[in-house]
Amino acid sequence: MIFQLDTSTDTTIGIAALQVRIDANNCGELQKAFLNWLQQSANIVFDCSSLDFIDSSGLGTIVSCLRKALEHKGDLKLAALGPKVSLIFELTKAKQLFSIYPDAASAVSSFNAITAGQ
Amino acid sequence: MKTIIITKKLDYPWLHDILPGHHPLLVPLCNKPFVEFLIDFSILAGSTAIRIISDEAVNDVEKFCEKGDRWGIDISYANSLPSDSLHKILEKNSRFCSDQRIMIINNILFIHYNKNADYRSYFASLPSGDLPGFGKKTLSLTGSPIASANSRETPPLSMVVLGSVGQYYQLAEDLLHNRLLHYVLPGYNNEAGCYIGRNVVIQKSAKIIKPVIIGNNVQILAGSVIGPAAIIGNNVIVDRNSSVASSIVMDNTFIGEELEVENKIASGNVLIDPESGHSLTMEDPHLLSSISQTIGSATLFLRIVHSCIAASLIIILLLPYLFLRPILESRGSWSTKQILYYSAKPRCKVSLPVTTLRKKGLLSTLAIFFSLDRFLWLFKVLSGHLDIIGSRPIEVTQRSKTHHRPGVFNYAEAEDWPQNDIDSDIVNHYYAVHSNFFKDIAMIQKALFNRIHQEDTV
Repeated sequence: MIFQLDTSTDTTIGIAALQVRIDANNCGELQKAFLNWLQQSANIVFDCSSLDFIDSSGLGTIVSCLRKALEHKGDLKLAALGPKVSLIFELTKAKQLFSIYPDAASAVSSFNAITAGQ
Repeated sequence: MKTIIITKKLDYPWLHDILPGHHPLLVPLCNKPFVEFLIDFSILAGSTAIRIISDEAVNDVEKFCEKGDRWGIDISYANSLPSDSLHKILEKNSRFCSDQRIMIINNILFIHYNKNADYRSYFASLPSGDLPGFGKKTLSLTGSPIASANSRETPPLSMVVLGSVGQYYQLAEDLLHNRLLHYVLPGYNNEAGCYIGRNVVIQKSAKIIKPVIIGNNVQILAGSVIGPAAIIGNNVIVDRNSSVASSIVMDNTFIGEELEVENKIASGNVLIDPESGHSLTMEDPHLLSSISQTIGSATLFLRIVHSCIAASLIIILLLPYLFLRPILESRGSWSTKQILYYSAKPRCKVSLPVTTLRKKGLLSTLAIFFSLDRFLWLFKVLSGHLDIIGSRPIEVTQRSKTHHRPGVFNYAEAEDWPQNDIDSDIVNHYYAVHSNFFKDIAMIQKALFNRIHQEDTV
């Protein structure tokens, strides 16, 4: 997982590129890393362009990340969901919980739009 | 008229995504296999015999269609090579094709027709060659039209090209929305747009929205919403608070709790998006999984008991068998022939030595007393082909409408009903359905006891 901070705009936004697979074996790792990322920014984008598979544990972890981000008065947005990953988000109705964008750039700019609106 | 249905596996690779390992003709559309639509259409067109020709094994198709008695038509089967041209296939089946007009359905899985239209006179009046509106060599006729046949109007008839999972999905949805009444579909149909199969449990708080087709042995649990435009196959469970809309759920699928299946095809643990063609194999069995028929612990226990009894009888009867058989054979009281029967294992057959024992003297009476004519059958209990007690084994040449587990001894002889009689079938059927461990033990004793009084055995 590669994490970087985007400071190109007024708001600092963390962008995390998720790895190929998130399942029961590595979701704990994501959860732990997310807590560290939250220290740097409460607004985070998960770039899912490389993510090819996610199981229910992985999905549960992402939902838990969203909850933690909201607790820190931030948000977690998803970008570039692949077709297979999209299927599981639709099936489990998790799509309704997240703001999903076609790519990381549009997810980042959506944060800026909110900030500008405020 | 006769019909030839030709399919080639390589033309339908996408079917592998939906039902891997299935013959294309057996893939269901609105819970009815493609082959049944083609058979119905052939009958409407006036066919009296159908030959199904495929370049892959047709065992499963044969098992499903058998000899066509269900439709009142003769169905036969033949194989072809993937490289065979239509001409070559017809040449190989020249005997079937020689005496009558032939309708050739070549590589079409689905033809739109209307069960209420008259195709018989239309097909009889058509000249030989490809049918108008159909592709080259897809639906064609050979032989001359019947002079007396006169068709005033062309009945509704069109072909659907199925080249992708998306087209399959579109076809199913089209049938469901617009053409349900054109075909004979499985299930009870008390109101328009709603077909429900046998043994369907719909919990009180579940909701069914038409149009919908539900197969046999389906459980719709509390709070679930099925439809609109949902096709649920056989042996499906939709768990609590899930919804299935504009989707196809194939046979033997479990849909987990709180899920939303919309515009999808679910087949076992595979979820397919028909629009994009993408599929996802679920690794979480609580989300989506295939339902396999497993042996319950009670059944397993019963099988173990049957095997133990068989092993004990083998040990007890081994010496009498080895001693008496050669003597009785030399006296002409013992004769054996091999007959092929349906096995207790699904889709299996078992060859059993059927012994005729003539009751002449003390030794043959002893052999009957010990049931030595069934001695070799006991080994088939150990291999799972037979139970110790069960139904009378059915020869593979006979038509078997219901499948029960055959036994070394059968319930009818335990109850001393005459063999090969409808009464014995009823007794066998009753006990096959109502058997349990204690009943089986009692019936084995009764069967053994009744055989002591028996005269000649067959």
